[in-house]
Amino acid sequence: MTDVLLRLDRVNSFYGPVQVHFDLSLEVPCGQIVCLLGGNASGKSTTMKVILGLLKPRSGQVVFDGQPLTGLNTPQIVRRGIGSVPESRRLFGTMTVRENVLMGAYTRSDAKSVAEDYEGVLDLFPKLRERHAQQAGTLSGGEQQMVAMARALMGRPRLIVMDEPTMGLSPLHVDRVLEMIQTINRQGVSIFMVEQNASLALQIAHRGYVLQTGRIVLSGPAADLARDPQIRDAYLGGAQAA
Amino acid sequence: MLPTTFGPWLDYTINGLVIGNIYALLAVGLALIFGVSHLINFAHGSVYMVGAYIGWLCVTKLALPLPVTFVTVAAGCGLLGAVIERVGLRPLRNAPRIAPLLATIGLSVVLDQSAQLLFSPDPRALPTQLPTWRIAIGGGSIGALDLLIAGVGIGSAGLLYGFLRFTKLGWAVRATALDRDAAQQCGVDVDKVNRTVFAIASALGGVSGLLVGMYYNTIDPNMGFQAGLKGIVAQLIGGVGNVPGAIAGSLLLGLIESYGIALFGTSYRNLFAFVALILILVLRPNGLFARARRLPPEPLTGTFIAPSRPLVLPKWAVWTLAALALALPLVVQQPYLLQTLGNAWLYALLALSLTLVAGTVGQVSLGHAGLLAIGAYASSLLALDAGVPVLLAVPLAGLVAAALGTALVYPAFRLRGHYVSIATLAVGEIVTLVILNWESLTRGPIGVTGIPPLSVAGKPLVSGQWVYWVPLIVLLAFAALQSRLLNSHLGRTLRAIREDDVAARSYGVDLNRYKGLAFAVAGFIAGVGGALMAHFYSYINHETFPAPVSMLALTMVILGGLGNVAGAVLGAAVLVGLPELFRAAAEYRMLIYGVVLLLLIRFRPQGLLGTV
Repeated sequence: MTDVLLRLDRVNSFYGPVQVHFDLSLEVPCGQIVCLLGGNASGKSTTMKVILGLLKPRSGQVVFDGQPLTGLNTPQIVRRGIGSVPESRRLFGTMTVRENVLMGAYTRSDAKSVAEDYEGVLDLFPKLRERHAQQAGTLSGGEQQMVAMARALMGRPRLIVMDEPTMGLSPLHVDRVLEMIQTINRQGVSIFMVEQNASLALQIAHRGYVLQTGRIVLSGPAADLARDPQIRDAYLGGAQAA
Repeated sequence: MLPTTFGPWLDYTINGLVIGNIYALLAVGLALIFGVSHLINFAHGSVYMVGAYIGWLCVTKLALPLPVTFVTVAAGCGLLGAVIERVGLRPLRNAPRIAPLLATIGLSVVLDQSAQLLFSPDPRALPTQLPTWRIAIGGGSIGALDLLIAGVGIGSAGLLYGFLRFTKLGWAVRATALDRDAAQQCGVDVDKVNRTVFAIASALGGVSGLLVGMYYNTIDPNMGFQAGLKGIVAQLIGGVGNVPGAIAGSLLLGLIESYGIALFGTSYRNLFAFVALILILVLRPNGLFARARRLPPEPLTGTFIAPSRPLVLPKWAVWTLAALALALPLVVQQPYLLQTLGNAWLYALLALSLTLVAGTVGQVSLGHAGLLAIGAYASSLLALDAGVPVLLAVPLAGLVAAALGTALVYPAFRLRGHYVSIATLAVGEIVTLVILNWESLTRGPIGVTGIPPLSVAGKPLVSGQWVYWVPLIVLLAFAALQSRLLNSHLGRTLRAIREDDVAARSYGVDLNRYKGLAFAVAGFIAGVGGALMAHFYSYINHETFPAPVSMLALTMVILGGLGNVAGAVLGAAVLVGLPELFRAAAEYRMLIYGVVLLLLIRFRPQGLLGTV
């Protein structure tokens, strides 16, 4: 049994009067890739918001590394060691690639090791080295995704949460992004990713959860989920499974 | 009288650039603040005024050397900016977008009035310790102060550029402006960013005030209002939130004003700025320098309608209250009391008019006093110059105000949120400036004297009772009409526009037509109110209906509950009647209004009777 890095414990969250999560509980073990699957409006992205403190749950708690995150704001949560790759990347469009990536190190004050890490992520994403002085908003979708991942890495997080990292990318870039996620994971960073594309997510994930209208309806090792007939019907429709 | 040689034009150019530099110090701060908090800060002009007064204290009372004065002004205003952010705006973070804007208006009133109480409303001289030499350049000349202003402008721009480009906090400011959520997810404390930006902007604004005080050698507690508006105009010319654009817009505005004054005269000065503002808002709402790709800055929609259950008075209660109000002069005989209440009913007409456009239709107008002015001038001039009987001139004046008011605001119909407020504010100022400058019609700064009183069958209605009754009867009639209107299909349509104009449009509502209708009705009511005021006061000039009256009207309307007809009447009675009855010293009155506005926005946005 591995240690649990992130745990959501019976979270109930609301948008005004509308309840989004119903007793949502899930766990991200240390060093693993965990994916949260679900269709539109299942509450996937809201789960990200709850973890990052952008939405306060009405009851239940988020526990990171044994410490509850209740009452902390987003910057404080980020400082605890959670990096994020937001939905549709959310880069700072008119800032350069270099500035965007270094913004990820905003919470760190060790200039020397930041510079080393910056070289490190450029080695990981060589494409960004040529683009470093370019405005981030002018990059292609795949390149922007790399900037977003590089930015998240710069905070030296222990966990990166990703919201639909493959959305809107060409198939070529999708594979590259999945590889990158695995590479990052091998360096010891746990990954929690929210995905609509179950077949892709389950290819690289260790564990998966299936969210339906705010409730977890299935969970288990990724390999089991990929074989589960329910999942196949609901999310792996013939064409996509290929 | 056109200057024919090249020399004076060089002087006008230098003068324009100097003034432009001063505007730039204001506009850059406004652009920074808009960038990170999507707020147009109406308190910025007041910070500028505070800067001038801190400078005045340093120079005249403490006899500090100039560099120390500058540092003190920057530090003092920076601190003030941080305080404004903390107490005025952060508590409203999750309120509707228009709430912080109204809060900055309240703060601005409080700051201006406090300065007036502390330092007296009289202007003060702000002597400079600078040498008086001037360098002649081809027919024009430049003095030490001109160079100092240019130096401060360029120096601040350079410092700001360095800060934004090369410091970590500067990056955080830019990142927050581009994507607040993503910045937070990088660990940026956006509260700290906001505070920093307010401090920097206010420090620059304060220095600007000091420089202006030195340039004209005079400062006064009301100097901030116009200056703040100029900063806003300059910022809009450059494109909201665009820092380099704000500098370019400021220099452009300075030059326009300087050349304009050369061609037309000083009293036109402010007219150029506001006409430029309207043109920009209508033709290039993203500013002159916006890239075509940029999305229109539209995160400002949303009205200040707090959800609430309005207090509904039963019919018999309304009738009883109306009857009691009508019967009051039979019991109370003191003319002073009746006059005060009559005045309150006149202001209630203005509030009634404003609550229709700001409350029901959600177009927060900040220039409503302009409608009073149009009505007042139309009625008096019709009566005096055209010989129209007063009884006929008053409704005619209402029609004129309806037509002119709607036509003037028409270009702003396609704007939303903050932009409506700014555009209407500019329209209000334009009305005042046209009255001042169109001497052949309005008699200019002298004003209109000897306006005949209201009379029926040759009998003038000037006694205390009639001063009370006439406004009350007109008010009751309009209030009844407006209540009926709100409960009709039309009222529902207007509220639909307020709640979601896109949805309303997709259901086939022609926005322009309904907004036009609302402004026309509002213009008629306010116009009649202004006309009655003119006939009761017997003298009006361009300063009878100044911008603070618009702010007062807004406070009344929010106090009563936006959109609420009874609330508008109550708001006017409370804010005009009570201070008078309690004999609150006149100099404290505006301060009280400002504080009331701030407290309402913070603690009871639905007003006393609830929004409708």
